[in-house]
Amino acid sequence: MALISIWMRLSTNKVKSHHNLRDGSRGKAEVSPFRGHFSDKLRTVPILPLVLPLFLLFLLGAAPKPKTSKVYIQKLKNSRYRLIVNRKPYIVKGVCCNPIPIGQNHEYDWWSDPNKPWLVDGKLMQEMGVNTVRFYQSHENPEETKTVIRDLYALYGIRTILGHWLGFWEYPCPFYGDKAFQERIKKEVLEMVSIYKDEPGILFWTLGNENNYSCLGRINPWSTEEIDKEPDPQKQQAMRAKIYYSFVNELAKEIHKIDPNHPVALGNGELVGLEFARECCPDVDLVACIIYRGRTFGNLFKSLKATFDRPIVITEFGADSYDAYLKKEDQNMQAFFLESQWRQIFENSANNKEGEGNCLGGTMFEWTDEWWKHDESNPESWSVHDTESNWSNGSYYFDIKAEGNKNMNEEWFGIVSLSEELEDAQPAGGQGLNKRLPRKAYYVIREFWKKPVLARDIKKKAKKSK
Amino acid sequence: MTKFIVLGLIAVCFLTPAFAQEETANKAKEFVVYVDKNTRDNHYIPSGWVGDYGDIKMNEQSADNPYSGTTCIQFTYSAKKSQGQGWAGVYWQNPANNWGNKKGGFDLTGMTKLTFWARGAKGGEVLQKFVVGGIKGTYPDSASIEMGPVELTDTWKQYTINLAGKDISYINGGFCWVTSADLNPEGATFYLDDIKFEADPTLKPEPKKQKAMPFYVYADRSSINNHFIASGWMGDYGDIKYDGASKEDPYLGDSCIKITYSGNATQGARWAGMFWQNPANNWGNADGGYDLSKATKLTFWARGEKGGERIEEFKVGGIMGEYSDSDSATIGPVILNKEWTQYSIDLKGKDASYIIGGFCWSANADNNPDGANFYLDEIKYE
Repeated sequence: MALISIWMRLSTNKVKSHHNLRDGSRGKAEVSPFRGHFSDKLRTVPILPLVLPLFLLFLLGAAPKPKTSKVYIQKLKNSRYRLIVNRKPYIVKGVCCNPIPIGQNHEYDWWSDPNKPWLVDGKLMQEMGVNTVRFYQSHENPEETKTVIRDLYALYGIRTILGHWLGFWEYPCPFYGDKAFQERIKKEVLEMVSIYKDEPGILFWTLGNENNYSCLGRINPWSTEEIDKEPDPQKQQAMRAKIYYSFVNELAKEIHKIDPNHPVALGNGELVGLEFARECCPDVDLVACIIYRGRTFGNLFKSLKATFDRPIVITEFGADSYDAYLKKEDQNMQAFFLESQWRQIFENSANNKEGEGNCLGGTMFEWTDEWWKHDESNPESWSVHDTESNWSNGSYYFDIKAEGNKNMNEEWFGIVSLSEELEDAQPAGGQGLNKRLPRKAYYVIREFWKKPVLARDIKKKAKKSK
Repeated sequence: MTKFIVLGLIAVCFLTPAFAQEETANKAKEFVVYVDKNTRDNHYIPSGWVGDYGDIKMNEQSADNPYSGTTCIQFTYSAKKSQGQGWAGVYWQNPANNWGNKKGGFDLTGMTKLTFWARGAKGGEVLQKFVVGGIKGTYPDSASIEMGPVELTDTWKQYTINLAGKDISYINGGFCWVTSADLNPEGATFYLDDIKFEADPTLKPEPKKQKAMPFYVYADRSSINNHFIASGWMGDYGDIKYDGASKEDPYLGDSCIKITYSGNATQGARWAGMFWQNPANNWGNADGGYDLSKATKLTFWARGEKGGERIEEFKVGGIMGEYSDSDSATIGPVILNKEWTQYSIDLKGKDASYIIGGFCWSANADNNPDGANFYLDEIKYE
């Protein structure tokens, strides 16, 4: 009986707690079996008849498994789309997350960090209103990956977009035209899906990132004998694109066979090459694009409809917080760009009649600064917050007059900065984590998400003030 | 107490002209830039000579058939490229030679247009643009408004720059003309008179009209139909030579564009390219461009000097900044033929409602180790 009582309290309280975590969604809340706070109010609820069968199962050693989320895309009229999670509309309010500590580089294994950075970050994210994180690829140890996904979801209600690079960074280069390469990548991807598909925190899968640029030969170029024989470079690009997008589609089709509960996204740099996806990717559910266009996304949403009619989650966008012209941190600049970008995301979601209605949300780049990025081959520089920029983007026009027009500061994209001061050491975690210091963008976006102010609201306000 | 009275009188003496100046600009019906030589009403000085300033001669008191009064201003532009720029112009400034380094200018709030009269000595002289404002510096003009190109007639004609809805609360560069050697290969002599700001409360801000097709980026060296300027040089800009008046076998008309790309990687980028912009040098930092919504494609003719030159990209739009192109479209890589070949960039489904980057090419040194010389002609939206 005592066991029944405890189980009742646990499960019923989980409903209540999790309901509070959701992003303004209403209706029936999900059962999250991970939370552990008890609620006094629920002790006297007479639900014994309902749980008796479950209890019997429990006694027999068959405790209920965590409930897998059912995620799908709903197509509305006029090519408008909504993401539905457990029967409720869901706007992705997310961040890209790669919490590399000061002094380390991308090879650092934060998944197994005994300080558990995701616990500190998850709490801060929850307080901001983040409901989704994007991981570019899972860790090689599935148990560690599961721990992170579960903790984020169970403790903070944050879901995970899990990606796979599709071998993009393999040396010498990805061979998408090679069957053996394709088979190996397919095996890896399907293994990933099999391992994590039943995690309640999974939102959807993302295949690739900016791999489409390899079809243009801009980065990690690859070819085949047949392509090499073609003298026209435009036709070569088209041949590569067809091979690549057909391969991604094959993966999407196979994923759907083993996991009917989560959509599959095509990761893509900008909208480049999507005219080929239109013919090659019928099984892809949505596109996950990397877009750095400054204050506005321009014609992105409309253009996508005309090119490849799928919903979009902008899985990389944002702004850095360092003014390369004035040579000082400028949190206002970053907050300005990010708020403007989120405004456009909301304006083009299905909820807003005036937009294109095909945007499902975004995951901004990125949660914390990464101090290793400017000079990744020099370990000494990983402990220095470099202020030198090595690329230019005129869309971020505040500091475009910087020397050589180099205005993008890779190490300053975090909406949370890192301090060299350490804190939050876990019992088994050594010295602790770099202290997290939210930037202005953190607070601005938090307020925007609470009450999104769209362009039409600003116009109305301006009219009234006249 | 006496001290305060004296200080007060001094303040009144010095401040009164300033108040009067604002009064003039805000409530008067007109505010003169130039009407006649040595007239007190003239508020700006034609001191800012730019580009090939050695190509310009000015007679501020020409008595050769002025539009009104006793004088007009005569300009003679020789197109000799004295400073190697290929273009020249004159800014009317206040005070003289003020490139935004000192406070000056006028608050012209209330004025809704600038009007002026102009004629060419022969007719057919082409002025690339007329500008109000646009001077940068520590004390920048509050706006930059352009009009042009304009082909002059041999009789006086009035022209208007619409300023309605623009912030002209601080204008140091009251008026400016610019032209180029390409537009006037034999030079040009022209006259200006009665340049003034006017308050016309009925004038509305000029909406961006959808341009009729075809709409040219480049037709011929001196064509008034050239709407974008080849000003946006990128990457190894030192590797590029641009000739907008090449006589080497043009596809149509009397001239074509010749691009000489050395591939020397002068700036170390190992690539180079050019944007045709409106206005010139607009990297999305200024309002400009055209509404080309009616266009379904951009076509152009191209040929390589030897054949086999590889151009990575030909592009429409894609400039991003405070004012961004509404869309972009590309083709490439393209391997050029030795013979003229027409290429087309498809704009169907694209939003060409705001285009400041009218046309662009880019090439790299890796695919053109010996450089690439090529020709372009008849670049137009259709």
